[in-house]
Amino acid sequence: MMEVREQRDELLRRLPVLRVAIVTALVAIGSCYWFVQVVRGTYYREMAENNRLRKAAIKAPRGLIHDREGRLLVDNVPSYGLFLDRSRTSDLGRSVGFAAGILQRDREELLETLDRYRSASWFTPVLLAENLSLSEVAKFSVRALESPEFEIQVDHLRLYRQGALTAHVLGYLGEVTDNDVRDSSGRLQVGDLVGRRGVEKSFDETLRGIDGERVVVVDSRGRPREEHGRQTADAGHDRRLTLDLEMQQIAARYFQDRVGAAIALDPRNGEILVLVSSPSYDPNLFARRLAQAEWRRIVEAPHNPLQNRVVQSHYSPGSIFKIVLAVAGLTEKEISPDDTVYCNGSTRIYNRRFRCWQSRGHGRVNLREAIRRSCDIYFYYLGQKLGIERIAQYSRLFGLGARTGIDFEGERSGLVPDRQWSERVRKGPWYPGETISVAIGQGPLLVTPLQVASLMATVANGGHRVQPHLALGNEKPPPPVPGIDPHALDIVREALWAVVNDKGTGAAARVEGFPVAGKTGTVQVIEQKTWIDSKDLPFEQRDHAWFASYGPTDTPELVVVVFVEHGGKGSEEAAPLARQLYERYYRTRFDARSAS
Amino acid sequence: MKGTTGRVSTLAVLPEEGLRLRQLANVRWGLLVAAFLLASIGLATIHSASSELPVDYLPRQLVRIALGLLAFVVVFTLDYQVLMKFSVPIYAVSLSMLLLVLFVGSEAGGARSWLKVGATQLQPSDLAKVATALLVARYLATANRRYLTVRQILTAACIVAVPAALVAMERDLGGAAMFLPMLAGMVLLAGVRWRVLVALIVAAAIVSAGLWSFAMLDYQRERVKTFLSPGSDPLDAGYQLQQSKIAVGSGQLTGRGYMQGTQSQLRFLPARHTDFVFAVLAEEWGFVGVATVMVLFTVYLLNGITVAMRARDRAAILLVVGLLSLLGFHVVYNTAMVVGLVPITGIPLPFLSYGGSFILANFIATGLILGADYRRYVNR
Repeated sequence: MMEVREQRDELLRRLPVLRVAIVTALVAIGSCYWFVQVVRGTYYREMAENNRLRKAAIKAPRGLIHDREGRLLVDNVPSYGLFLDRSRTSDLGRSVGFAAGILQRDREELLETLDRYRSASWFTPVLLAENLSLSEVAKFSVRALESPEFEIQVDHLRLYRQGALTAHVLGYLGEVTDNDVRDSSGRLQVGDLVGRRGVEKSFDETLRGIDGERVVVVDSRGRPREEHGRQTADAGHDRRLTLDLEMQQIAARYFQDRVGAAIALDPRNGEILVLVSSPSYDPNLFARRLAQAEWRRIVEAPHNPLQNRVVQSHYSPGSIFKIVLAVAGLTEKEISPDDTVYCNGSTRIYNRRFRCWQSRGHGRVNLREAIRRSCDIYFYYLGQKLGIERIAQYSRLFGLGARTGIDFEGERSGLVPDRQWSERVRKGPWYPGETISVAIGQGPLLVTPLQVASLMATVANGGHRVQPHLALGNEKPPPPVPGIDPHALDIVREALWAVVNDKGTGAAARVEGFPVAGKTGTVQVIEQKTWIDSKDLPFEQRDHAWFASYGPTDTPELVVVVFVEHGGKGSEEAAPLARQLYERYYRTRFDARSAS
Repeated sequence: MKGTTGRVSTLAVLPEEGLRLRQLANVRWGLLVAAFLLASIGLATIHSASSELPVDYLPRQLVRIALGLLAFVVVFTLDYQVLMKFSVPIYAVSLSMLLLVLFVGSEAGGARSWLKVGATQLQPSDLAKVATALLVARYLATANRRYLTVRQILTAACIVAVPAALVAMERDLGGAAMFLPMLAGMVLLAGVRWRVLVALIVAAAIVSAGLWSFAMLDYQRERVKTFLSPGSDPLDAGYQLQQSKIAVGSGQLTGRGYMQGTQSQLRFLPARHTDFVFAVLAEEWGFVGVATVMVLFTVYLLNGITVAMRARDRAAILLVVGLLSLLGFHVVYNTAMVVGLVPITGIPLPFLSYGGSFILANFIATGLILGADYRRYVNR
């Protein structure tokens, strides 16, 4: 039992060190947990929520658009969209390649789409493709387990039922730009579609509605487990337009192989019933995100189909402008209805020869005759009497040189020239000879077809300025234009009746039982030394044809302005469409009213 | 002296009830209760963690804990000195089992370290560590000097190196590395001169550099690299690290509630019933739960030190410290790994993680520690 005692004291002396080491290590690790859980806890809680919650937008259906009779112009149709969640793929390039393979699309093109979402949150799903076919949907669904980053969602696609027929009125949608997103203060997100032109643009705010959101709890494989929250979408408001689809169809059919514009509006309130610009385009191409090649095809098509000639094109008014001159001359008492001028086909003013369109001359004409037969000589002399300043003043009274304020984007203001303009813009003096050209609607004077329609409305309604518009239901009685003598308008109106109904230049617009008044116009595109029939010239050199009119003459309800680019004579090319529109209007509305 | 020698024999021969109660008072209850509580918390957490798994691991873990308790009773009842006597054959058996695994073992999680025994699987490396601790303690106990000689240190290292190398060959690097703290604990306690210690550390650095370049597999290097720059590989090891940190952090102070942890219930957390069970606990019980478990481990380990302080002989002290180093380092490494302080490797958390042979090894170690304590008054 008395063995040598073991050497234990050294061991026992060292043991307390171990005790300290244990406590130190566990306290140190405990403090790390304190830091991660308590100090940084909120941050990690947020990351956990981000892990498990997936937000998906519930798209608000865009408002539908109807014509004035309630006929549907724009519809929403369901479409399958392919979404890519970038946070759920380890190899973005491979995912895009996979999608490109199924969609048979260019890989670069899809990468470009992705690139647009650079500024968006990494968790925002990217709309990679729209309008998937059912077989494409099936292919993605089959591979859902291996490729959880893809999701198919049903979205709505805009369907323009009338296609090109209403393209310039309705416009189209386009993907929102980065700037729009930044300026929208959160209302717009990358990938949203917004109105880019036409009614879609001007009423975008109310048509669009407010998107909702669905939050679902997903597991680590992205499979939805339960709904966590939902905010329903507010559908966009439907919009009824002043447009009359049937009349629009007639006008569009007339312009099928013509270039130009037609507009019909109600002179009592400015409601636009017809708005046609030709050539047109199929807006349904824009409903999907457009491929580069398709876009180029539209942009490079002859006569620029994207241009809305009703509000965006400037033209010389031609003889239409004689209406303004006549009203000015009568109001300013520079002429009386009975004053006459002798026309022998040409005259010399300011040492320059000015020709009448009728080379053999009109003989002795008073104001009524000068308007009815569109004598240029009469108005050369009237223009000389009035001078450019008063011509400009009356032009502005009729709304020329300024935007009409139509509820439509991209309107141009036209140009009413005067001395000040010449000095400011042209940096040169106004030549008196130019006043003579302006007197028959040539020279630097430029108008849009819409301005001409507004001008005719003022003539028709006895001197009131209407506000042309497309949205039905904000009618205000048009205010009178101060400075236009109503008596002068009566005289001009009678002459305009004669243009159509008394063997005048507008005879082609005559409608039995529905008295129409109007004025033709023919605009020379190139200066002609001799009289050549426009039809013998190449298309680009042919005259433009105008016809501006209203009816019925006593209580005007409709203004029709037709403009045919390089169409030749207004009497032959533009007036017939006006007649078709009046006939249609007469048959439906006028008939229905007199029957009741 | 005769009275005390009577205590050498087993409990069954004790004549009086009162004596037995007095002897029960000799058991270090704090340590045992801590072990029990930890295992219970582990059970509850495993149940929550496996709610999204095809089977509930709670009943299986319950069986394993029962087996562990049985092993605990057996080891506690046997005199550790008897076990020490047989430490060489025990060591030899565990080595042969490790060898067997190399040839007929089955693979799981990249490591070929499992031995199929009927329907259950056994991981011999866990038991081999306890066996190795026994032999090293026995060997170092004979070095009855103030400091170990270099030769003695190297001999102890060799005893450890053989099973550690076999475990490393099973591609279970973390498991192999766990031999090191055990050896270090015992050798340092037995006494190492400063200059020898410095030389050893330098040698270890050179050896680990060599391992990095020649012996480590790509995925192992990758894990270390990922740890050093997380985010470089978000879908693999970095993903685990990130998800674990999110789970822990989102628990905040009081946790999301039992069975309410989104990270584990929605399967974002990998290995959530085994190596990352502590992350589940941290998420569902918050810092309060973490602190509770930490306190229980501290109670266990400090009680263990107390056992060593009053142990009967050198061998007992060394054995207890070796086992405490082994368990303690598991606790430190696993909890540090879950909170993202150290690279991810397959180190489970004692008493809490799911795993048969590991929980068995935990209870055997507990049995050895408490057995040594129980026999502290027995004279030589």
